Amino acid sequence: MDTTSTVEALVGLGILLTALYLQSESFVDPLVSGIALQSLLLAALLGWLAWVYDNWTFGAVAALVVGARVLLVPYILRRQIRAFRWRAREIHASHQVTGHALAAVALAIVGWFVFQQTLAPSLPAVPGIALPFVLLLEGLLMLATRRNTLVQVIGYLEEENAIVYAAALFAFGFPLFIEVVVFLDVLGVVLVAIILSIQRDVTGLPEAEILEELSG
Amino acid sequence: MIFGDPILWLLLVLVAPVAGALLAIVAGTRGSEIAARVTALVTLGGAAVLLGMQASGTWGSYLGLDSLSDLFLFLVASIFATSTWYSRRYLRSIDRPFLTPQRYYALLGAFAFAMLLTLSVTDLGLMWIGLEATTVTSALLIVLEHKPTSVEAAWRYTLIASAGLTTALFALLLLYESTGSLNAFALAAHPVTLSLPLAMAVTLALVGYGTKIGLFPMHTWLPDAHSEAPSPVSAMFSGVLLPTALYAFLRVYAVVASPVPAGLSDLVIVFGIVTALVAAFLMQRQRSYKRLLAYSSMEVMGLAIVGVGLGGIALYGALILVVAHAFAKSAAFYCAGNVLRKTGTTRIDDVRGLRTELPWTGATWVVSAIAVTGTPPFGTFVGELLILAGAIVLGAWWVVAACVVAILIAFLGMNAQIGRMVFGSERRAAPPSSEPAEPASDVLIPMINVGVALLLGIIAIPYLAPAIRSAAAVLGGGIP
Repeated sequence: MDTTSTVEALVGLGILLTALYLQSESFVDPLVSGIALQSLLLAALLGWLAWVYDNWTFGAVAALVVGARVLLVPYILRRQIRAFRWRAREIHASHQVTGHALAAVALAIVGWFVFQQTLAPSLPAVPGIALPFVLLLEGLLMLATRRNTLVQVIGYLEEENAIVYAAALFAFGFPLFIEVVVFLDVLGVVLVAIILSIQRDVTGLPEAEILEELSG
Repeated sequence: MIFGDPILWLLLVLVAPVAGALLAIVAGTRGSEIAARVTALVTLGGAAVLLGMQASGTWGSYLGLDSLSDLFLFLVASIFATSTWYSRRYLRSIDRPFLTPQRYYALLGAFAFAMLLTLSVTDLGLMWIGLEATTVTSALLIVLEHKPTSVEAAWRYTLIASAGLTTALFALLLLYESTGSLNAFALAAHPVTLSLPLAMAVTLALVGYGTKIGLFPMHTWLPDAHSEAPSPVSAMFSGVLLPTALYAFLRVYAVVASPVPAGLSDLVIVFGIVTALVAAFLMQRQRSYKRLLAYSSMEVMGLAIVGVGLGGIALYGALILVVAHAFAKSAAFYCAGNVLRKTGTTRIDDVRGLRTELPWTGATWVVSAIAVTGTPPFGTFVGELLILAGAIVLGAWWVVAACVVAILIAFLGMNAQIGRMVFGSERRAAPPSSEPAEPASDVLIPMINVGVALLLGIIAIPYLAPAIRSAAAVLGGGIP
């Protein structure tokens, strides 16, 4: 295994471990640190690829990842936690941590197996080629199972990390212009999500009777 | 001659809503309204010229048009214009709105621009960006009435639609890996034989864009957002946002060389049928008339996806259905807005006797309900008939049977409920309204829109029918 493959495998392992950690954590502050760490690992991989392949596109995307997902969005999320202390913990996850962790591990194994058996043979032979797909599934799981709005935003960011990771591993040459605008778009979604999250606090969570209006 | 150059008109179509949005921010309440109305009409004018000249070609690396994009641009511009013009009285009826009129019109313009951008680019990545931008620009519009339910609906919309679109972006990465390009026009001109990564890309695109189209089981944001948004925004959601997402999927689907392998087209058809059936059955148990209309949109989009999967004449039918539905459903939502302002409730059981209280709105609502459920002689009927004809030509009798069941159930569910509200005599628990008698401006716009849906069926509008045929031909569909 050459140096690049070793780096890809090690960073991939780190990203997988952060994904599993995020599923098992119920406090929001460590979750913000977790997603920032995952983004930092991703940026490190992109920086390495930029250096090895002398490709400034990877370097530019790495800088964007650091700026947006390691610094800016975690800063905004932490401000939210300070403003609304009660949001510092997942609403329902505290008694389900084990269940979430087990589901995350099972999903990772199934996702890995399915991708390796189906798509991997048609894609470049890169260590951890199935990991972006696994990360996408983990992000979806977090979105589906958590109730805390800030944690759901973190789940969405994890999905977006999966996209950047996939672009780095098996979509070499994906246009930088598109990646940059995607970044801005995602930032817009995160900001709108946070505005809505605040409004949810202002208007209060819907009473059961009102929620009934949204059923069916 | 400069006016014969499509790029001029395309730039006008793209710049006008942005200019309207910017003017709305800096102008006062009345000024923002005038700016929005004028620029919406300019957008419509530009789109009509593009459709009339059947504009096609590419400009630079990213801008491009063909008959399909011309048709969808016209559709978006039309509903954007009618929604903008309808908004004024609706906005005045809201107590303590979340957005000022200036911000409302600015976001409405930005929302329209995001859709128009999606339809006028050649790059699949930019199309994705445009579609994701529709979420960013429209989410806050849902919260206009500032109720806990509307905030909840906007939250679900933002998260579910964005998560779905992330899946679509993953699909684009796979597609890029398989083909080495994201240029939809170039890929459609030289379609690729189906490989495993490409099949996976199309499947993930179906799931991802399907979330925004409202396909089952990713549809859960749709009834909430449609029912909680203000009526002019609901009209844009139902009439043009879902078709814009369908357009993005069509561009990915067109990458696969025709004939599309049976496994993949069957998957598309099954998604469409299940969506249409689930929506039709769910329509029967709705207690809110706005949710009823939302599920009806889901049913129609299901049928349209069936047409896409079948191809040929059914694809032509799907495009007619989408166009006629946009006009008819927007009319239905405008009428729903009139009813909500008059009665103060969206509960079907609390609304009765509209034929005496809001006679023009009631009549237009009945006609638009008939129109959206595919009754002759409306354009929706022609579209559904062609989809069924396409299935019969292919000998797909199970598709015919499933579609007929969905169409009939949806027809009964929609028209029985609307009929009860308009013609029912008893009136329960509706609060007295301070609204004046029905002003003509409230019913004129829905009447115009439902009239277009009617004309599309009766004479197939000489102006629109050839355009729809050309649009279907872009995707390899049409009359044999």
